[in-house]
Amino acid sequence: MFFELAQLVVNGLVAGTILAVPAIGFTAIYGVLRFPNFAVASHATIGAFAGYVANVNFGIPAWGAVAFAFLIAGLSGVLNDEFLLKPLRPTGPLTTAIASVALVIVLENVIRFFFGNDLRGYDLPIFRDWRIAEIRIGPQQVENIIIAIIAMAILFLFLTFTRMGKAMRAVADNPMLASIKGINADMVGRLVSFVGMGLAGLGGMLIGLDTSIDPLTGFRAILPIFAAAVVGGLGSIPGAVVGALTVGVGEELSIVVLGPEYRSVFGFLAILFVLLFRPRGLLGERAY
Amino acid sequence: MSKTKFPLSRRGAIKLAGAVAVASALPRPLRAAEPIRLGALNPLTGAGGSYGPSMRKAIERTIANVNAAGGVLGRQIELFGEDTQTNPDSAVRAVRKLIDADKVVAVMGTWASSVTTAVAPLCWESKTFLTCVSGSDTITLLPHQGYLVRTQPNSTLQMTELGEYVGSDLGKKRMFILGAQTPFAKTNEERLTEVLPQHGSELIGALVYDKDKTSFRSEVDIAMRAKPDIIFLNGYTPDVTVVMKDLFKAGYEGTRIGPAYSVNNKLLKSLPNDVTQDCYTYAPSPAVDSNAYKRLAEFLNVDDVDPYSSQTNDHAALVILSIARAGEASGTAIRENVRRISQGDGIEVDNVLDGLKHLAAGKEINYTGASGPCDFTDIGDIEDTQFRYEIVDGGKFKTLKIG
Amino acid sequence: MENYLIAMVTFAGIYGIMALGLNVIWGMAGMVNLGLVGFFAFGAYTTTLLTKDFGVPIGLGIAAAFVTTAIAGVVVALVTGRMRGDYLAIVTLGFSETVRITASNEIWLTNGTDGISGIPGPWRGEVSPETFNLIYLGIVAGFVLVVFLIMQRVRYAPLGRVLRGIRDDDQVVAVAGKNVIAIKAKAFALGAGVLGMAGAIYAHYTSYIAPDGFVPLITIYIVLSLTAGGTGSNLGAIVGAFLVVFFMESTRFLTAVVPGLEAVQQAALREFLIGASLIVILHLRPTGLFPERITRHEAPEPPASGAALKERSQP
Repeated sequence: MFFELAQLVVNGLVAGTILAVPAIGFTAIYGVLRFPNFAVASHATIGAFAGYVANVNFGIPAWGAVAFAFLIAGLSGVLNDEFLLKPLRPTGPLTTAIASVALVIVLENVIRFFFGNDLRGYDLPIFRDWRIAEIRIGPQQVENIIIAIIAMAILFLFLTFTRMGKAMRAVADNPMLASIKGINADMVGRLVSFVGMGLAGLGGMLIGLDTSIDPLTGFRAILPIFAAAVVGGLGSIPGAVVGALTVGVGEELSIVVLGPEYRSVFGFLAILFVLLFRPRGLLGERAY
Repeated sequence: MSKTKFPLSRRGAIKLAGAVAVASALPRPLRAAEPIRLGALNPLTGAGGSYGPSMRKAIERTIANVNAAGGVLGRQIELFGEDTQTNPDSAVRAVRKLIDADKVVAVMGTWASSVTTAVAPLCWESKTFLTCVSGSDTITLLPHQGYLVRTQPNSTLQMTELGEYVGSDLGKKRMFILGAQTPFAKTNEERLTEVLPQHGSELIGALVYDKDKTSFRSEVDIAMRAKPDIIFLNGYTPDVTVVMKDLFKAGYEGTRIGPAYSVNNKLLKSLPNDVTQDCYTYAPSPAVDSNAYKRLAEFLNVDDVDPYSSQTNDHAALVILSIARAGEASGTAIRENVRRISQGDGIEVDNVLDGLKHLAAGKEINYTGASGPCDFTDIGDIEDTQFRYEIVDGGKFKTLKIG
Repeated sequence: MENYLIAMVTFAGIYGIMALGLNVIWGMAGMVNLGLVGFFAFGAYTTTLLTKDFGVPIGLGIAAAFVTTAIAGVVVALVTGRMRGDYLAIVTLGFSETVRITASNEIWLTNGTDGISGIPGPWRGEVSPETFNLIYLGIVAGFVLVVFLIMQRVRYAPLGRVLRGIRDDDQVVAVAGKNVIAIKAKAFALGAGVLGMAGAIYAHYTSYIAPDGFVPLITIYIVLSLTAGGTGSNLGAIVGAFLVVFFMESTRFLTAVVPGLEAVQQAALREFLIGASLIVILHLRPTGLFPERITRHEAPEPPASGAALKERSQP
């Protein structure tokens, strides 16, 4: 029983770490631009496909493909935000959010138009799991966790030590004050769109490594991503990590309690439960 | 679309033309050559999206081949295609357009059981023939007045065969089902519980997972803890892909078997060979000596034919041959003739062009398709069919048995 | 062709009722509801179980759908009452997925993913399908009219004014001594009830419901309708719904004439156009085709969030 439970927790932590990457992207964009950008779903898919093209068509190994996924999804994020979402922001966060929902449909079908619906897989071997004292964990999981942690660490260093990173945090914390201080909000907006959607794309590729790649890859994962960001506190980057681990572990444990067919419901219940007691999420809404 | 000045009275105009026999005086003497209108309704987007495109292609190519060979009844066939979006709500609007605006006489290739059940009433009310690949047992129990057939064997038939194969041929004793929530998940489980013991085997457990999840590690753990010697992968390609990866990672060494519509060529291509090695599949099949299946790949100009494409190819063939035999293109004519060209003592044919030749020569035919013998019961179910069992070897299917 | 048009107008009418329901919650009270398809499903299942299994008359089934869904709405409103918009959007989205997943798995109650067919419709089977379609068009038109009139009343009644107050600044309303949560719950109940009623009308029309039909895509269509028509405007909600159905249907014919596309590309192009059109509408008219027009009694000083208000009051 102990090992079964421990295994569930390990599985949950693995799932949560992957979930954390796009959740950070979602929450970072929210923190700076102040609207829930539903298009993280399609950027996860874009990242998965970009990684596929890099890996299968150009023969680039996993690490390079991950970087490529980040880059392409990030670029797409900047362009879409610049031309489609940014002009709408003066009319309010909700209008922008609705536009981002429409963008999900648009991007999903752009991918479908060019790639079709066929399932694809990376040209990478799949390894058997290691067993450490009855608990099993896979080399690929470990690799995914390392990639996720490196991405988060880079983001952390960037936010803490670079001028642009500090500017981003400033805008997230107090846009008015930031603009008085002469921080170019447009530049910061572009940057956060690039980093946020890039992370969504990177996360999408990690999800694609576990599943398969088709135009709905990102969309299928959207509810737990949102749940992770909300549980942790919208706009809080450490919150997204905590939220993702909570949702990841919670979903696995819910298999025992609610039954495996109700796994998706856990995210919803977690949001409700957390928000009832902490209306601003576990870690509140401070960006960092 | 043809432009008629009085589109609403087209049928009246035809009758009038025939009665007065002044065809040569009509401004359009080629009235008789107006194309026959058929509809295709497949899941091109949404959850069924990985199946719909190739299902549609099979219909398109079959019709193109017939058209190239001169059409049917001296008329070309015009195909109107719509997307179900794997959603009954969207499908109802799409079928309305096919029936009322495009005036098709048959709608071919609905996939999801919910979509088929939603569009079926509109089809039988308007006397439009409907052919589907849906698996739910309840579909043929609808009051469809004969305007519906399905080429997918129902759960009872499939599980009876599967149970026998697993118990008697493979000699497996303990089966566990890992499956998605589908209309036939429960009936499959109930049927296997009954059938397996008759073949010295038993169903030791079943788990319904949430198919949109990105990993099924814990679900796989639950299945493996039950110590099965065979796991039945009862889902669709996207989720079965993930389950197979997770079973492999977990070090599962037992046997796996899945329907050929989920463990298909696309799945094999997207996974490394060692993950799929030795997985068994089952699918309804034409008899051993039938060439239908082999010819279809050639006919469709593709290297792999998945079960659903085989079926939609047969849909188009059945509809076209029924029209040819009836000498008339209408849903009712198809209903009256579909069993006359697909079963009985006629000349055995395994493709639509041969069938058309024999019908033109005034002979009776018995069509056997790529998906099986296509013999239908009164309510439109597949009567009996042989099954083809294959095993994956080095990323390719190897046929083990047809029977 | 007439039957097709009649059916599409009927669909547009049902979508219009849903958009009117959403308008109370979102347009008037400013609460985002991305889970409206959940309420729609709730109503559809309520009337189906009552009329099919217990032989309750259809009219009563629709009324019961309104009541039970309204109660569900109150519960959701009370639980989410203190949440801010962004959170509410995600929670309601989760709610609708929870309804769908429950309907898929509780086979004893809902018949699972197989769905429930043979739901009775008024005079279905006694008259020809064409006549049934016409009768149902009349019924839907009647419902649209009645709901529209009620919503217009609500909009100009004290409740409507308070709701707009909450939407624009709920603290001001609270300071004015109103119980904000209770009023929000009222709005949510009314809106959810209307959504549930639309679900019931839908079920009796199509005669079949299944969890597959209650996916977030429907929510997107209705949100699209209301946004295109003009959030806050009842007329806009109905016109928007008709526009969306018109657009969804016309894209079928449009994509069919593009040469050289495979079927899946046509389907992708069609969905692409639907999404792109919304983005275009939002860019051209962010407040929709029928922007809310409220006669505001001249405020001596523009309030703190004056910019937004000023913009809205200028048609």
